Parts: sequence; structure tokens; C-alpha cells
Amino acid sequence: MPALSWLRSTFQSLTKQEHLDRDLDEELQAYLDLLVDEKVQQGMSPDAALRQARIELGGTEQVKERVRESRAGAALDTLVRDASLAFRTLRKNPGFTVVAILVLALGIGATTALFSTVSAALLTQIPFPDPDRLVAGFKTYAGVRAGPVSRVDYYDYRELSGSFEHLAAMADITMEQTLTGDGQAEIVESGFVTWNLFPALGVAPVVGRPFMEDEEKGGAGVALISHEFWQGRLGGAESVVGGTLRLDGEPTTIIGVMPEGFQVLLDVDLWRLVDREGPFDIQRDSHSHFLVGRLGPGVSVQQAQQEVDAISRSLEELYPVSNEDKGLALTGLHDAMVAKVRLSLLMLMSTGVLVLLIASSNVAGLLLARGHRRLPEVATRIALGAPRWRLIRQLLTESVIVSLAAGVAGIGVAFGFQRFLLRALPIGELGIGSASIDQGALLFALLLSIATGVVVGVIPALRATAVDPTLYLKTGRQLSQDVRSSRLWGGLVIVQVAVSTLLLVGSALLISNLVKLVTTDLGFESANLLTGSVSIPESKYPTHAERNQFFSSLLEQIEAVPGVESASMVNKLPILSPWQNWALWPAGQERPEHGNLQSPMARWVPPGYFRTMEMPLLQGRDIAEADDRDSQRVLVITETVAQRLFPDRSPIGEAVIVGSTEWPPHEIIGVVADARVNQVFLGPDPAMYMAAYQLGPRQMQLAVRTTGNPLLLEEPISRIVREMDDDVLFAEPATLQSIVDHSMAGFSVVTLSSGVFSGVALILAAIGLYGLLAHAVNQRLNEIGIRLAMGATRGNLLRMVLKRGLILVGFGLLLGAVGALMVTLALERMPFEAQTVSATSYLGAFLVLALVAAFACFLPAWRATRVSPIDVLRQE
Amino acid sequence: MGATKADLLRGTLDMLILKTLALEPLHGLGISRRIDQVTEGVFQVKPGSLFPALHRLEERGWIEGDWGESENNRRAKYYQLTRAGRHRLGEEKENWTQVVLAITKLLEAS
Repeated sequence: MPALSWLRSTFQSLTKQEHLDRDLDEELQAYLDLLVDEKVQQGMSPDAALRQARIELGGTEQVKERVRESRAGAALDTLVRDASLAFRTLRKNPGFTVVAILVLALGIGATTALFSTVSAALLTQIPFPDPDRLVAGFKTYAGVRAGPVSRVDYYDYRELSGSFEHLAAMADITMEQTLTGDGQAEIVESGFVTWNLFPALGVAPVVGRPFMEDEEKGGAGVALISHEFWQGRLGGAESVVGGTLRLDGEPTTIIGVMPEGFQVLLDVDLWRLVDREGPFDIQRDSHSHFLVGRLGPGVSVQQAQQEVDAISRSLEELYPVSNEDKGLALTGLHDAMVAKVRLSLLMLMSTGVLVLLIASSNVAGLLLARGHRRLPEVATRIALGAPRWRLIRQLLTESVIVSLAAGVAGIGVAFGFQRFLLRALPIGELGIGSASIDQGALLFALLLSIATGVVVGVIPALRATAVDPTLYLKTGRQLSQDVRSSRLWGGLVIVQVAVSTLLLVGSALLISNLVKLVTTDLGFESANLLTGSVSIPESKYPTHAERNQFFSSLLEQIEAVPGVESASMVNKLPILSPWQNWALWPAGQERPEHGNLQSPMARWVPPGYFRTMEMPLLQGRDIAEADDRDSQRVLVITETVAQRLFPDRSPIGEAVIVGSTEWPPHEIIGVVADARVNQVFLGPDPAMYMAAYQLGPRQMQLAVRTTGNPLLLEEPISRIVREMDDDVLFAEPATLQSIVDHSMAGFSVVTLSSGVFSGVALILAAIGLYGLLAHAVNQRLNEIGIRLAMGATRGNLLRMVLKRGLILVGFGLLLGAVGALMVTLALERMPFEAQTVSATSYLGAFLVLALVAAFACFLPAWRATRVSPIDVLRQE
Repeated sequence: MGATKADLLRGTLDMLILKTLALEPLHGLGISRRIDQVTEGVFQVKPGSLFPALHRLEERGWIEGDWGESENNRRAKYYQLTRAGRHRLGEEKENWTQVVLAITKLLEAS
């Protein structure tokens, strides 16, 4: 049949539905009348003729149904009619409808929000051409991944390997530099890259030219700037390219502008070249660069890895002291970027799916109960000749409509969840765009809703229509049906209890770990401490004395401000600026081999730093004013370092080598308690503190201990800095507490989300349990009435109902505990100090669940005892 | 229910109806009776298959239904063949003859 005519018929049959139906009614009536006439003519009595004619016609409804099905667009038409019937039925049961929609909305919403995050972080490709050929390189020790790569090793890999089109590097830290010149001084963030990083990524400047290979030597004072920095600070004129920026007083030429939105690994305002001949990180055991490579065409990661392994082995032979057991591991760039969050995300995603599972089984339970209440309707329709599959389709339409409504509500839930929780996940920090509820997520929600509706509805629909109409209509009962449905429902409740037990145990563990983290003694006091960084241009302060003078006068002035208890500074604040470890060994000995070499975090501080940070000095003395440029170099080490270097004697007065024998030896003057320097999650880090004024640094991070709210001092300190020098800034002020909190944000989000999820799960399981028992009590009202009339005590009845509920809860708890044990195994792989099997967490979760479950059981049980036997038996 | 003596293929029923209507316009019961009569009771078309078939044919434009008066003054819907229907009947007949010929040959080959 031509498509046009089919379309027309479909359209007509939809628009003229009522007309056609009326016509068909009349036609069938006419048929019946003619048939009766015929029979009367054959000599039947009119009554007998009518009866006979009706039998011959068969069910009018069935004939009509078959005609409708044969019409064009019948499927669509049936769907519309099913849907409108479903709407009517649902409207008549607002209680059921609202509960089912809300319950499913929670599950669908949570899963959708998590899906959008997972897809942004794990599924979306990084925005570079041929991303599959991009790899990241990390240093390994004895095959274990151990962070950034040595710059010196990198040049060897670059020169010796043939697998890469480009093998590039980027320094693992950015540098804050003060931009001066026209207008207000400003802090800009510089990243340091090798010339071939952008060609490796396949990204070229949109204005100007890229870095040249020969510019690497000497680091030529050139920079590429980010599009945002160009448009914002520099006004976006093309004439800017070729111009000069003064960074910390040094002239730097802008050679080009990178494309809009381009950032890689670390967010910066401008990129400068790693100076190949520069004085930094010139040792092979100084590791500070991320490697990014583009594989040559047709080269696999495995092939490149084999070649790199061979190079690592020859480096090991050449430089046994620094390169023993050292290697380079290649992984896909995208994998490397998301490695840290992958497990957390997958864990959250599975939590979301579990909540959806609970929500679905809950609604399936509700549908089973509803199916029972609708037995009269279903039995009647089957008796009238409705085919079973039609009824199943009708019931499924209802559950899909509920789940679609839940999907719409769930999108709201997803937005809320995304906005208030997931945004705090540290995904943006990886250089990957943050997640949003986009078209993909909406499509996901739609498909998930439909699937949920079908999955949730199919078993209840099968059960509800498995009724023998003759038997049911005769007796008004369907006992076997009831028993099977409630067994099924019981199973669903067990699943819900089990899954919520699992979620509760999981989040109890996470929460106890978070509490432990928050209450951990970091080794310093993070409350009431304002931090910020100050860097002065070397051109203006060329000598040590001038720089020291600037900083000591700055600290003095800050300490004079009311509300300041003490002011100090350090080259790298704990948690905020991690790493930078240098070798340390007793003077007069050979430099120990890699395995025995101590390399604590290198920090330099003025006198009074430990007092300001509230780090107790255990032995010896603090760095003093007298420890200046002309006196013996001094060093304060931490407890652990002291024990490792001098296990048998006091370290005070010992001479040690820091970093290199080319530098003068240091004398250990004090031992300070261990503290966390790099991360909150891992234990305290070994560290050593040099005297800042013996080094004359030009960039320091301030630590100001205050009596009240630290942020109130931000303004006065900024003013002091500006008044001292117009070209210097008090940059990135923040409280140390906020820095510590931020470093735990990812973990907090995972914990908080899983806490919210398990709370929701608990409520859902309680609703499911309550619903089941309330239904069971309703079904057994007669029995209860008879029992009461026969002399059963209310106590007996209470026990009878409670027993059923508590058996289900018991099974659920048992299954949940087994599941929880399995989940804790997964938790053990989480990248933090997780305490995985804790009796209190299990007990706490069990207790909460048992209490809620007991309450959910008790209500229907108590209602059972309120039954009046007279009322019940009278109804019968 | 469904006591047709031969399993009516849907297409066969359509052809029988078209053929029946080729002679004169008839109402539903009339079609059913005529087929019964002509085939000497081999095909008994029940309302459950008759009406869907009629509506299908009408939708395709092969027959047209109009309300009229029956012989005993009852209102009834009379169906008649359209030009397209007559053409279709020709095609169906041709197909049918070919199928019958083919099957007969097959059965008679020994």
C-alpha cells in the first residue's frame, strides 16, 4: 500500500476514531438484527432467535477489538487508549501513584546525575586530535608507579626512543609570578613545558607562532599565552603578540596565543619553556615533570613500552646510584588523567544503581499489591474475553507511565544532586570539563525510565493476569495467587533490606574514615591561620640581604596588626604545596644508594615558624636570628628523619649534606615533631627545615596565626604588602583550614553522597517492609478476626505479624552483611587510609537498620491487634 | 468459536469477499451467507474474521460501505467493489490460479 494512503488512513483512524467506533457499533447491531430476522423466519421464537444470534455473533467487544487491531495505526491507537486508561486508573489512586513516582524518581535521578559525571570524566575523549595515540609517562620504582619523571632522564628518553612522534614534558608545578607594567600588579600562573608539548597534542597557537626547538636552550624569554588571559588581562588585541610582559621583573616576549579553552594537565595563564640549561632539577633523582607523548603512526603502547624499558635498563647501568630499579610506565593520557577519580566514580555509580534497585523492587512490591486489589477487574475482563497479553500490555503501560513521570521528576533530582554534591568532585582539576546534565544524560534518563517501567511492571503484570476467572468469580478468592504474590513480595523486601544493609555498612565505614580524617592530628594547627603567597622581583631585590630585609620587615609589620598572634612563612605550605624532596645524608659519608637514601621534603623557614604552626620542637633549638648568611648552615629535621639517620644517637650537632656535596654541609640544631606535609590522607611525611634567611629566597608563602576570623586580616595584610612595594602582591589568600578541607573534598563528596544514598535506601526499605506487612494484615483480617473470636490474645497476634517481618529482615541483614564484606574489599583499594573492616561500623549499620525495620514491622502488627472481631466477621 | 472448516488464509478471505461483492453490493450477513451457500458450507465466515476483513479492505480502498435498506426494511451497511477493488480481484484470481496449478502439478507428480 502506498505510504501516503497508509498515512492518511492512520491519520483518519486516529482522528475519526469515535466516528468509526460508532459506525462499527451500528453495523454490528444491524448484523445482529438481520440474524434475528433470519432465525425468526426459520421459525424460532423471537427470544430464542436473539439468544441464538448472540451466540453466533460471539462477543461484540471481541469483534470490535479485532476490527480496531486490523485498522491502520492500530498499534499507536491501542497505545493511546492504554495510556489514557492508565492515566485514569493512576489518577484514581493518587497515593500509590505519588509514592511510586517519588520512589523511582530518587533512583532514576541519582543514577542519571552519576551517569553524567561518569560520562564526563571517564567516557568523554580528551579534546585533542587522535587521542588514542597520546600517552602519559610516569616514573616507576621496581615496577610500582611513583609520580613525575626526572628532567634529565626525560631528555635521554626523548633522544633515544623512536616510538614517539613527539615525547614532551611539563613541569608538575606551576609558578605564580607577579606581572607588572601598565596598571595594577597582578599574579599570573606560569606553566613550564618543552617546545614539543603542543605539537604532541596536535594544538597550535591561533595567533602568532609556536615554540621552536632551539629556543629550549637558555629558555629564551618567550611565552605562549592562554586565550582567556589574552582576552581578559591583555585586552585581546593581536598587537599584543610580539610585545613584552614583565614577570617578576623579567622581560618575557609573547610569541603567540593558544586556542580558546585550551588547557592541559594544569591550568595556567601562560606557558614558558623549560630551560634545558637551567639550574633547576639537574639531578637524576629530582623528579618533577609529567611526560606526554604522541606515538608514531602504527606504534602501539606496548611497543613503545618495550622500547622505553630497554632505555630504562641502559640508564640503570650508566647511573646505578640514581636509576636503580627506576623505569618509565606509559599509559593512555586519558586514563592517566582520570585514574585518581575512577574508583570513586565507579563506586558512586554502583551505589546509585543499588538505590535504583531498591526503588524498583519497592515499586514492584506496590504493583504486586495493586495487582491483588485489581483481581476482580482483571478476572472480569478475562471472563469477557480479553486476551491475557492485552491485559499485560495494559498493566505495563501503567508502570511505564509511572516510571516516565518518575524520570521527569528524576531529572529534577539529578540537577539538584549535580549542583549540590557532584560539582564538588575534583574532576575539574584534572583538566577535564566538569559534568552537566546534557542531552546524553537526558536520553539516558529516558531510556532508564522506560527500562525501569518494564522491569518493574513485568512480574506483577504476569502475576496479576494469572487468574482463573471462573474460580475467582465463583469464590471471590484466589488463595494460591495471594500466597505466591506475597512470597514474591517477601523476596523483594529481602532484597531491599539486604541492599540497604550493604549501603549502610559502606557509608558507615566511609563516614568513620572521614571522621578519622577530620579529627586526625595533622601535626600542625590548621584553625585560625591565614595563608597567601608573596613573591618579589629579583631585578628590584638583587641581593640576599635586600630580599631578607623585605620579608623580615613584612613579617614584623604583619605581627603589629591587631588580631595577629604571630606571622611566619615557608617556601611551601603543608597540603597546599606538596613534594619537593631532596637527598639528605651524614657528612663525611658516600651518598647512599637509592634504597637507603633519605630524601625528606625540603622547606625553608624564618625563626618562629614552628611556634606559629604549633609544631612542637622535641630536641635542640629553633632556627634563630643569629643563623644568617655568614654563619654555619643550620637544619631542623623531623622525628622520623632523626630516627632513620641517627638511630643510635642524638642528631643534634651532627653535620649533614643536603642535596649535593657542592653545597656547604648543614648542622642539625633541632628535631621537630612529625607532621603531614603532602597529603591529609597519608601519614606524616619526612621533612627538613633550612633557615630561609641563609638562602635568601624571593618567593614565600605566608602563615599568619590570628586570634579571630583569619579572613578579616586579608585586607590589612594586602595593604601592608602594597605599601612596601607597589609591584608586589599578597596573592591567593586563603585559610589553611579551607585548603585542608578542599584537599578532602573528593572524599567528602563520596562519603556524603553514599550517606545520602544509604539514608534514602533505608527509608525505601522501611516503606517496602511496612507496605508488605500492612497488606498481609489486610488480607488476613478475617483470619485475625476469627482467631480473636476464638480467644487468641493480642500478644499472640502481635507476635504472629512481627515474626513474619523479622524473618524477612533477618534474611536481608544476613545477605547484606555478606555483600558488605565484599564491598569492603573494593574499598581497600581506595586511595586513602581506609579502615575497612570495623566492627563498630557493621554494628552501627545493623542497629540502625534493625530499629527502623522493627518500627516498620510494629505498625502493621499493632494495627492487627486493634482489629475488632465483630466488625470483621459481620462484613463476611 | 473459530469453527471454519478450512483454515482461511487472510488473503483467501479477502479474495472470497471481493469475488462475492463483484456480483452485487451486499451487507455483512449477506456476504457471510453467500460464501456459505456458494462453497456449500466449506467456508463459514464468522463475524470475528468478517468485520476486520471488511474494514481492512475498505481502508485500502477496494470496497466502499454505505448505509442502505435491507429487503426486510432493516438499516444495514452495504459494501460494493470499487474500481481498484475490481482490479485487485483480477490480480488475486490470477495469483490463485497459478498457486492452484502449481500445487496440483506437485500433488499429481508421482
